Amino acid sequence: LPAGLSQWFPALEVLDVSGTGLAELGAELLALPRLHTLLAKNNRLGGPGSLPKGLGQASLGRSLRVLNLSGNRFAEVPPALLGLRGLQSLSLGGNRLHGIPPDIQELRSLEFLYLGGNFITSIPPELANLPSLSYLVLCDNKIQSIPPQLAQLHSLRSLSLHNNLLTYLPREILNLVHLEELSLRGNPLVVRFVRDLTYNPPSLQELAGRTIKTRNVPYARSDLPENLVRYLSLASNCPNPKCGGVYFDSCVRQIKFVDFCGKYRLPLMHYLCSPECSSPCSSASQSSTSQSESDSEDEASVAARRMQKVLLG
Amino acid sequence: MEQPVQTETWKARSLEELVRILHRIFAEDKVSVEEVQALMESYESNPEEWLQYTRNLVDNGNGKFNLMILCWGEGHGSSIHDHTDSHCFMKILQGNLKETLFEWPEKKGNGEMTKKSERVLRENQCAYINDSIGLHRVENISHTESAVSLHLYSPPFDSCNTFDQRTGHKHKVKMTFYSQFGERTLC
Repeated sequence: LPAGLSQWFPALEVLDVSGTGLAELGAELLALPRLHTLLAKNNRLGGPGSLPKGLGQASLGRSLRVLNLSGNRFAEVPPALLGLRGLQSLSLGGNRLHGIPPDIQELRSLEFLYLGGNFITSIPPELANLPSLSYLVLCDNKIQSIPPQLAQLHSLRSLSLHNNLLTYLPREILNLVHLEELSLRGNPLVVRFVRDLTYNPPSLQELAGRTIKTRNVPYARSDLPENLVRYLSLASNCPNPKCGGVYFDSCVRQIKFVDFCGKYRLPLMHYLCSPECSSPCSSASQSSTSQSESDSEDEASVAARRMQKVLLG
Repeated sequence: MEQPVQTETWKARSLEELVRILHRIFAEDKVSVEEVQALMESYESNPEEWLQYTRNLVDNGNGKFNLMILCWGEGHGSSIHDHTDSHCFMKILQGNLKETLFEWPEKKGNGEMTKKSERVLRENQCAYINDSIGLHRVENISHTESAVSLHLYSPPFDSCNTFDQRTGHKHKVKMTFYSQFGERTLC
């Protein structure tokens, strides 16, 4: 970067030095107080000193919102950038990362994180401590498992996991109520994931519990063993507003998979308290998909339909 | 579509001209696939002309065809899908898209679908597919660049089947547009 950059352009807000062959970004960056977007894709960054020291302490630490370092040669997430507390969007796609540092949790403002196309083998649970993370891209890596803590990412709307080495997904992933996009293709897991969910009917205990709750069967603490009293207190209401049902363990939420010709949405899995609830729950979202498809289906084909739907990842 | 006696060689100098010529071609009873493909390839992509249309229906071809633009973020890909007995042309306006062709699964499909071939389509190239050729998956495999493609479907269709690569099972889906003709619509 030219030495006089901050003197010539003190009000610079967006800087794009992509495809310029740069091997390092120097201290000139630190003197740009208004810089909020820095694009440096497809360069030769990655060696020590690629990013200036004191990146987090400079005003850039608060002002930088978007940083794109995709298509470079980083073998690790440069520690210097972990001080960018104002950063909302970070892309390190197409680098040579072998892991994600737990200190990634310091990027408190992060909403968008693109790490596709690296050599990452595992995900630190600390990633789940990013309170605003909405878009997480981990496709085309070597990830073998997803830590269940990832389900704590309450704001997560989009999760890209395709082309990895996943053999299973933690069931906690079903707690991501705002998840709208989930890509899973190119993993060895897919058929097993579906089979586990398809053939997981409620237990007898669950069925009995549901009946007690939905029919308001009266009981006193002295009528039942302590563990069953506790179990009954854990009943949750089916998210389907038209259904008065409850569930205990055997319920999941609707997840939509977007993986078709761009951005067309297709409802994929109806997670409900029972097969009877198949139609109204899908209107819990703002999507325009027609309900008639699910209305006309009988219970027997709901399970088969699930298998077809999930796999579109 | 069948092969007519004569085929023209068109050069579309702008997106607007491309649409105009398409209307003329599709006004006829017989349309040549090669002619349409060559016409689409002849248009040299100019982002200024199509940026307003991304994720939109560009033209509804008087009911004879749909012309739309799709945007593919880094790493984004489609499911494996068919084309509901229609002809499908896909021209790359920006970036690159990988197309993987698959055989139709057996009637009682219960095994991994068979890949026929794959290729990377470059800017301005135009691919063609219909159900007799097979099924395909389209992906932007770049982690640094987004891609934009121009699609022509004739006759127009608003639903198709998506296929599970692991089992060959299919599922019908409806397609919705984010907006029409460059303006936002509710859908």
